[in-house]
Amino acid sequence: MSYRWVEHTAELEMEIEADTEEAVFRDALHAVGELLDSDASGEQVWRQVTVDGHERAVLLVQWLDELVYLAETEDLVPEDAGRIEFSDRGLVATVRCHRGRPRHLIKAATYHRLSFERSDGGFLARVVLDV
Amino acid sequence: MSDVVQAGVRGFHQVDEVVWELGAESRADMRVPARVFADRELIGQIAADRSLEQLQNVATLPGITGAALAMPDIHQGYGFPVGGVAATEPPDGIISPGGVGYDINCGVRLLTLPVTALELGARTEALVHEISRRVPVGTGHGGALELKGAAFDRVLVQGPRVLLAEHGIGTAEDVEHTESEGCLEGADPTTVSERARARGADQLGTLGSGNHFLEVQRVARILDPRTADVFGLREEQVTVLIHSGSRGFGHQVCSDYVRRMDAVQARYRITLPDRELACAPLSSPEGRQYLAAMACAANFAWGNRAVLAHRVRESVARILGPQVAEGTRQIYDVAHNVAKLETHDGRALCVHRKGATRAFPAGSPEIPSGFREVGQPVFIPGSMGTSSFVLVGRQGAMDRSFGTTCHGAGRRMSRTGARKKITGAELRHELEGQGIVVRCPSNRGLAEEAPFAYKDVERVVAVVERAGLAGRVAQLLPVGVVKG
Repeated sequence: MSYRWVEHTAELEMEIEADTEEAVFRDALHAVGELLDSDASGEQVWRQVTVDGHERAVLLVQWLDELVYLAETEDLVPEDAGRIEFSDRGLVATVRCHRGRPRHLIKAATYHRLSFERSDGGFLARVVLDV
Repeated sequence: MSDVVQAGVRGFHQVDEVVWELGAESRADMRVPARVFADRELIGQIAADRSLEQLQNVATLPGITGAALAMPDIHQGYGFPVGGVAATEPPDGIISPGGVGYDINCGVRLLTLPVTALELGARTEALVHEISRRVPVGTGHGGALELKGAAFDRVLVQGPRVLLAEHGIGTAEDVEHTESEGCLEGADPTTVSERARARGADQLGTLGSGNHFLEVQRVARILDPRTADVFGLREEQVTVLIHSGSRGFGHQVCSDYVRRMDAVQARYRITLPDRELACAPLSSPEGRQYLAAMACAANFAWGNRAVLAHRVRESVARILGPQVAEGTRQIYDVAHNVAKLETHDGRALCVHRKGATRAFPAGSPEIPSGFREVGQPVFIPGSMGTSSFVLVGRQGAMDRSFGTTCHGAGRRMSRTGARKKITGAELRHELEGQGIVVRCPSNRGLAEEAPFAYKDVERVVAVVERAGLAGRVAQLLPVGVVKG
């Protein structure tokens, strides 16, 4: 795991450092799975997730919002993703989830202090979640 | 002031004993001053996180007038600080979804029961337990009022009034005793996405998680007997405080419009220090549509709290009998995350309140006729296990803060910080040791809301009283808490 939680008085600030863009998105998924904090014994479910957007930072917000939506409307807790494919239009991924009862909901991923940048040989992203 | 400077925020100076200000000239992009209501102790705590920087960012918004204001419970949020107030002037002044927040019309409703804490006595645990059975918390859906299609849209347009007319939920007095009578005008369901509808479809009457809770309390002290009498409060009376908002429906409305406005900043030549402040002129298509969608979410939130109050009355009926349920009255319901079109000093303004409460004084035509001689009720929940306060709006709020006061104690410690200091099980034990019945399925969620993670609510309300924004009416203490 290459994500960490940065101190924030009220919300949750996630910082991800990874070798590839795909790994940033995958680690963000793992972070959401940790937050939802559900018993993993439920039925395993796969969902295709499509997110539109050009800018990687905005795409990351949309990706997180999509995972929040699945949790809230279908009680699906993300575990991992198959290959995450990027295109000019956005990204497509197949997400493996388990059906559960997420204990903690995330309201949204925000644009506050949002960043997605190249760092030493990899990528560094930051996003604040409203919880 | 030295505390502030030491924390790295230069230029704030003390205007009077409870007001601190940073001039507009202190940063090239600020259009108005940044002003904080706080005493010396609180300003030191406030300066410890990014909230003052966020307040300065708010001061840069196009069309902002007066000052970017912060209540004494201010803390770091996203975009706007929580506890922030900004008034913008149409038509060119902006509306910012981030200035309202994701939980549109998060707010507080206070019910009074016609029994004392002594009379409730041994049935306290049964009542709290019954409420916890009937009110879905966390991600729970079961027990929500599920409405579809046109019936759902009517709630978006009319709020609790339609729940009373079509579903027998609440009373006419409940509707009258709700800010804006539970209905913001201009709500247009066509401005709301299908995704928002999907998130909200089974959430009407659900508490949610995070800092949302429902508390059974007793009136520990009456501080303003005349106003308390007008509000219908007496010592040792049992009250129920409901803190929730627009749930996933409002969260999605905000997400949709932050994204949409972020995409049009260049079109309106708006440059912002933080993307979460994304905004558009009130007169623009994006601005008008957001206002219409936000009104839907605000009305949904009032509907949500109306259903939650209905579940409380059902619980009261089962444990204490139907007569006690019939005598359970709603004092008022206040919003603390909303933008409203109001008139201040003869000017039409859009007042953003992000973690701040409207507090109109005596004589305001906007408040129920029965309260007009004393002012609008305001409810300030403390942290779990500590006091909550009933306040009343004062003229100073109109003079100094666009008719606004604080909304709570205000966090001072992160969620992870709170979890490092105490476990949920330990806190549960502590609260139960104080005689407070706790119903919360998540130990983690409980620990995150530990009392020490918040500022001292008594200090916060003392500041708004000294500033003349609101006056203290009664102090409430918890006897039971239900949270997600």
